Amino acid sequence: MWLPIAGLLVGIVLGFLVSVEIPLGVVKYTAIAILAAIDTILGGGRAQLEERFDLSIFVTGFFANTVLAALLTAIGDLLGVDIYLGAVIAFSIRIFGNVGFIRRDLLERYWRGARRREAAGQASR
Amino acid sequence: MVRFQPSRPWRVTRLQATLALILAAAGFLAVTQIRNELLIRQQLRVPSQRLEELGFMLREMERNRGVLEQQIFQLRTQLHAYEQGASQGRDQLEALGRQLDRLRGLAGHTHVAGPGVIVELDDSPLPLRPGDDPNTVILHYTDLQGVLNDLFASGAEAVAINGERVISTTGLNCVGTTIICNAKRLAPPYRVIAVGPPDDMMAYVDRPDGVVQALRAFAFPVKITKAVRVGVPAYRGSFRFTYARPSGPFQ
Repeated sequence: MWLPIAGLLVGIVLGFLVSVEIPLGVVKYTAIAILAAIDTILGGGRAQLEERFDLSIFVTGFFANTVLAALLTAIGDLLGVDIYLGAVIAFSIRIFGNVGFIRRDLLERYWRGARRREAAGQASR
Repeated sequence: MVRFQPSRPWRVTRLQATLALILAAAGFLAVTQIRNELLIRQQLRVPSQRLEELGFMLREMERNRGVLEQQIFQLRTQLHAYEQGASQGRDQLEALGRQLDRLRGLAGHTHVAGPGVIVELDDSPLPLRPGDDPNTVILHYTDLQGVLNDLFASGAEAVAINGERVISTTGLNCVGTTIICNAKRLAPPYRVIAVGPPDDMMAYVDRPDGVVQALRAFAFPVKITKAVRVGVPAYRGSFRFTYARPSGPFQ
């Protein structure tokens, strides 16, 4: 539990410490890729809450989504169509959906715990 | 929220380690991106989405600037030549000035006045019956061009249609029901003013089998009047010679 969060913190700190300059032409692609990564991480969190998390699905999803998003943007650039807008919309919708499911799962978990505590309190009485 | 699983501790650790790595990568990427975006905004004061558009504008502007700089260079050379001419003597300068005035008149750069004729043309007043071709009552640019040709052929030196000076690069064209001349729309009635020998022009334009007679035969109202003094305005547009360059005799 704490190791992944520590990893995230390490990544953020590393990002602040090491200054990597992204070329201007690539900024668009990395933005989309980050959106895809956030979506995958949220999806992973939701799967974890619903107790059907699978590492291989998570890892492949993370890389496939990220690469696909960047690739889609590149193809859109070649065609002169803003396909990346489609990727942005798709990922945004999925992020919203995942956050909604996570919220519901957390609430459900909280209610279940409260009920259990209540039941335990009644039993002890 | 990985539950503690005492039976398979190794798998849990590997899972957590992988997650940690991926999250570290994502966090690093996100922070780097945000820092870059902030840097771009700070330095250029524009969001990165507009950069391409601005880059295109910059290239365009730079191209324009190159052309203007060339113009400056050319004008400076000309100025230099004129200054040299001025220092070489006033006689030459006066001759050049006279030539310049003459050329300006020829090119249509100056208002001119003198004896001439006025040709007035209009669309046919005949009412259209159902089934009639409207083209038969509308004055076409070919008719106007024919009148212009006749005037120039009989010695016209300066001609204007509805106040638009006809110069060496003037072309007439039909746009809908109006005629376009020097990139300006003209509407009927058309008033062609020509400076030149009035009698010659009058006689030639009004000759049998000429354009004007043919128009009259089709009931177009055409009026030709001689005048002792008519005025033709200067050409108001710009001259653009992008391709044509002065050269010697060309074989």
